[in-house]
Amino acid sequence: MSHNNKKILYIVIGVLLVAAIIFGLYSYAGQQAFIRTTLSGLTLGSLFFLVAAGLTLIFGLMDVLNFAHGSMFMLGAYAGWQFYTNPTFIFGILPLLLAFATGVMLIPLVKPLLVRLELSEAWQKRLPKLMYFAALVVAVLALINFDILGLAETAMVAATTTSSNPLAELSPQEPLLRFLWRPLLLMLSGALVAVGVSKPGDRTEISAYDPIRKRLILPVVLFVLTIIFTLVRESASEAVLLMDGNLRFGLSILAATLFGLLLGSLIEITMIRPLYVRSFFIVLMTLGLSFVLRELVQVLWDPLAYQMVRPPLFAQPGRATTIAEWLMNGSSTISIAGVTFPTYRLFVILLGLVMFIFVTLLMTRTRLGMIIRAGVQDQQMVEALGINVKRVFTLVFGLGVALAALGGIGAAPFLPVQPMMGDQYQMQGFITVVIGGMGSYVGAFVGAMILGMARAFGDYFALKLQLSPTIAEASTVIIMIVVLLLRPQGLFGKKD
Amino acid sequence: MSETTENNGYLLSVEKIHTYIGQFHILEGVSVDVAEGSITVLLGRNGAGKTTTLKTIMGLTPPRDGRVVFDSQEIQGKRAFNIANLGIGYVPENRAIFRALTVMENLKLAERKRGDLDRHADLIFDLFPDLSRLSKLKGNQLSGGQQQMLAVARALVPDNKLLLIDEPSEGLAPILIQQMMEAIRKLKETTTILLVEQNFIMASQLAERYVIIDDGKSVHRGLMSDLVQDQDLIHQYLGASIQAPLSKSEAK
Repeated sequence: MSHNNKKILYIVIGVLLVAAIIFGLYSYAGQQAFIRTTLSGLTLGSLFFLVAAGLTLIFGLMDVLNFAHGSMFMLGAYAGWQFYTNPTFIFGILPLLLAFATGVMLIPLVKPLLVRLELSEAWQKRLPKLMYFAALVVAVLALINFDILGLAETAMVAATTTSSNPLAELSPQEPLLRFLWRPLLLMLSGALVAVGVSKPGDRTEISAYDPIRKRLILPVVLFVLTIIFTLVRESASEAVLLMDGNLRFGLSILAATLFGLLLGSLIEITMIRPLYVRSFFIVLMTLGLSFVLRELVQVLWDPLAYQMVRPPLFAQPGRATTIAEWLMNGSSTISIAGVTFPTYRLFVILLGLVMFIFVTLLMTRTRLGMIIRAGVQDQQMVEALGINVKRVFTLVFGLGVALAALGGIGAAPFLPVQPMMGDQYQMQGFITVVIGGMGSYVGAFVGAMILGMARAFGDYFALKLQLSPTIAEASTVIIMIVVLLLRPQGLFGKKD
Repeated sequence: MSETTENNGYLLSVEKIHTYIGQFHILEGVSVDVAEGSITVLLGRNGAGKTTTLKTIMGLTPPRDGRVVFDSQEIQGKRAFNIANLGIGYVPENRAIFRALTVMENLKLAERKRGDLDRHADLIFDLFPDLSRLSKLKGNQLSGGQQQMLAVARALVPDNKLLLIDEPSEGLAPILIQQMMEAIRKLKETTTILLVEQNFIMASQLAERYVIIDDGKSVHRGLMSDLVQDQDLIHQYLGASIQAPLSKSEAK
């Protein structure tokens, strides 16, 4: 039998199998339960997809298993929750993060000068370490007496009290003049990191660079943003709190996603880039990073679980019968074919679909997507065509983390926001990637939906047949094992 | 910011490069000069270091020692994408085209400036008429010969001063070898070419100069017209590769 016929045969068998499973479940559970469980499955699947999409792209392109991806999901949830409930904390530390990023992003400016320095080999090795140490010292100096716990508390208080005046929770912050030296010192700290990363004296790194104007763009933009956010540190929180709840929620989503993009890029540049030659260290590094981030969150917000208030569009008690009615009244539930389903979960399904379309368009219609698809196969050849693959790595890592952070904020209004919330999603994300095939975003989508369904129907059967609820968790692993036995490269994976 | 270097009129000078792959000392002093507007061919047995020489020039396996001067600039130690952007096109062996991309995407990806492909589309589709017919197919749907055409075409998309072409005839049917030779001859009018070629007949018809690489060292160089007369030299270093120049590829 020819290769193509075999493929068609497998697809036909697959479709028949799926149809049989759907029909079996439908006739066993009945229409109502089937629709409800399916919708729950799609909700979970959407979140799994947002986590798995980043994992699979990052793994496919750079062979990096990001064990901190669940933490990115968790941080996205925290960032969105903070922004929505009380953004004082975010606007309080944003100038500091931006200042540090400005310093780090000086790399393309300082590197061409530094690599030309005449340094002995010993100093070439020593200098970066000294710089990192100096950066740490300067950063500590910058943060002395910075009341970060006080800032973090603002949202915790807001989460536990309900006041009619949205500005009641705002607490005064230290005056601008006393605050000012913190971003300045952090910029210096970032610049020291940039010097270290640039490998001073390493003449093999000498190469042609973009014109100076192009290299100035990023640092200048970041610098201007630093100044702006230093100035509006307090007024911005007020402005956000006075906004309409739905708009504020939209901005929270944007904020969490941008935060993910920035964080991911920084992690790639500072921590992962030096380790590409030793890929096993990356696993250890990201695993360690996930622990550090989780502890950091616990220090800031205590190991408690918070419930983010649902935005007004999904919050009014009552059941809408049509989508128009829901959008008009902001009903919390909607009736779909006789089944009552929370409107917010419908939104999560939509979010997953929209992001799948976004990723598909990005991969198929843009030059970046072309580079990624080509790079998955042969990075050296992409580089030999004149494309700076390292820069693409940074972008893809940032994008992947941004998707996970988006999943986090998407989950925040219906899952408890707590330090461990990402762990389960990371696990399911990895299983999704294995099922769908490493490096395939379509595989990630299909795999995520299969896992979502397995979880939802697993829960349904556990309840109905009085089995242990862990059957739902086990079902995803069982699916993974079956897929690995039948098709080790994953459903949409390519054989190497 | 480029360091200008005297280059004796050569577009590319490789001077005593030493390249390691892992622990292995692959190139132990290879020197190659390529005059502007010429075709120079690297000859030698399998495993002599011809492909590694091209990769070293391209920056894919950077040399530990020695110099590579291209267009009056030292390029050893630069990253591959920077070297490519100086105007060097690379056609790797084994037709390393991107299998998941369509023919058109493969060509588009090679653009360095917007519109590169449009400007050179006439030349490319003139040399390889098949490609325009196949433009919507994915790389993995092409035959071996078509993939090889695409790999060469890809290097023609941007403005390149130098092309490094690794074994263009490998695994091609004789009629395709003729087409490939025509293409390379035509390219020579506008571009300088450094070729690696096992097929001695093809190499001798195309190239003006040769460099023989043996055991990681460049051992002999000169005019192609002198080499074809020198049966001893051919036997000493090229051995079997002249015995059956065409039949090897026909066998595929």
